[in-house]
Amino acid sequence: MSGGLVVRLKASLQQRADFSEVLAGPWTTLSARELAQRPIYLERDGRVPLGDLFEVRGEPNGRVHFAGDLERVDRLGAGLSQGDVIVEGSVGSEAGVGMAGGSLDIDGDAGSRAGAAPLGFKRGMTGGELIVRGSTGAEAGAAMRRGLLVIQRSAGSRTGLGMIAGNVIVLGAAGPETGLWSKRGSVVALGRIIPPATYSYACTYQPIHLRLMLTRLRVRYGLPIHRRHLTGLYRRYSGDLAELGKGEILQWTAK
Amino acid sequence: MKIRGVFIEDTFAEAFTMRVARIVITAHSPRWVRAAALKLTGFATSVIGCKVEAGIERELPASETPDGRPGISILLMTMGKDDLGKRLIERIGQTVLTCPTTACYDGLPEAPDRVGVGSALRFFGDGFQISKVIGGERFWRIPVMEGEFLVQEKFGMLKGVGGGNFLILARAADAALAAAEAAADSLASQPGVILPFPGGVVRSGSKVGSRRSKTMIASTNDAFCPTLRAVTQTALPEEVNSVLEIVINGTDAAAIAAAMKTGIDAACREGVVAISAGNYGGKLGPHHFHLRKIMNGAQG
Repeated sequence: MSGGLVVRLKASLQQRADFSEVLAGPWTTLSARELAQRPIYLERDGRVPLGDLFEVRGEPNGRVHFAGDLERVDRLGAGLSQGDVIVEGSVGSEAGVGMAGGSLDIDGDAGSRAGAAPLGFKRGMTGGELIVRGSTGAEAGAAMRRGLLVIQRSAGSRTGLGMIAGNVIVLGAAGPETGLWSKRGSVVALGRIIPPATYSYACTYQPIHLRLMLTRLRVRYGLPIHRRHLTGLYRRYSGDLAELGKGEILQWTAK
Repeated sequence: MKIRGVFIEDTFAEAFTMRVARIVITAHSPRWVRAAALKLTGFATSVIGCKVEAGIERELPASETPDGRPGISILLMTMGKDDLGKRLIERIGQTVLTCPTTACYDGLPEAPDRVGVGSALRFFGDGFQISKVIGGERFWRIPVMEGEFLVQEKFGMLKGVGGGNFLILARAADAALAAAEAAADSLASQPGVILPFPGGVVRSGSKVGSRRSKTMIASTNDAFCPTLRAVTQTALPEEVNSVLEIVINGTDAAAIAAAMKTGIDAACREGVVAISAGNYGGKLGPHHFHLRKIMNGAQG
């Protein structure tokens, strides 16, 4: 059985690389050679094929594995609509912007605006699952319309800014103004969070759907979700009341 | 053919194709799962008068349910595809949504044919309902006074089989009842089947139509009524004084055949004279369950 494609950095990146077009559109049936021909955009040198800087190997099976120091790679998984993308280590900004499907699993930190709307667009993620096993920078999940963003460690400021719908789950601490200006959608905080002043406390209860959602994350991604998260009580805040007010923050109470 | 002295008649049960949905109810405790399940499956013995046939398939431990709480799976069956959706919406809306702490899930996730249930019930939320997609499936969170009712948007439906049956012909009413109870108990947790009648047992087996009324779909099965032995063309051996029927519906013919085998074997006990089955000459239902074929090899 094939392990899928492996994209490995040949030598340390000396300039930032924009991966906007590497995984946008159909890619799961591409061979290693075909994927290596997809363009990346270097900050100084401009457009080059992926294969110039990365070794691409393996057979297509709907999965691709990125390895190497990718902290200078921006927009990895941008526009992703299919397949499973696994990233070893941390990535730069705007990972998974405009994702519409598939999964992007980053085993490290992600810079600002992960899963957010690309600049100039109204909508962020419209589907798929973006898992960041480290921390995220500011405005992760901004304007997301659908889909799931999970941040295992801490989430930066204004996470879920202006969410239209979808789910942001933060296992660690959520940064200031998380959920600000959301229209709909859910922010689930298992760690510390201070809801914006424009959110209003509703009640403390046990949302049954979280049992399904969190159980799935534990089973599928092996995330550290504990029984106390499944059976515990959550404080529900409605907001953003300065906007449509149909969103929510669900804050685990540790009880 | 005899099993432990009980004669197995050379006849067959005649059954029909129905539509089936599997409903999984969960709740905070077994008490509330059962409360919802009993209401949902109430007044659902026969499509003739109830529009729907339903029963508890089995109790589910927390480890087998989607949300890790105690659960019960139910099979709900109708004759038509359109009917199934209507009945699911009515019954889940009136009996599960209303019951404290419950949630309601589709138990046939692999079935390609799907009917909207949560998508209709969500309107009870009056615009405050919230949709969540989890693992590719959409669920609705409907706000209620207690908290939230969670229901899956769509439920799978399959072609199932309704009307598998066998008749227990006994010397006395006590013996018939004991045998019927043993049969029903043996099928209490058998996957893929339900016994839609009270306690799993029917005392009023019917024939098609009526001698007196053209509008009646069914009337008493006089050939199997001991009190009518002298005035009708009886099907009963001389020593039989009481007859009870076990009706079995299921997700497919194989599940019914397996259940009939288990149930008949349990019913073959002291005081039972023979096991027979109800049919319409083989002209109405496409599924024929021949008793001797089913029991072949079961005598040990």
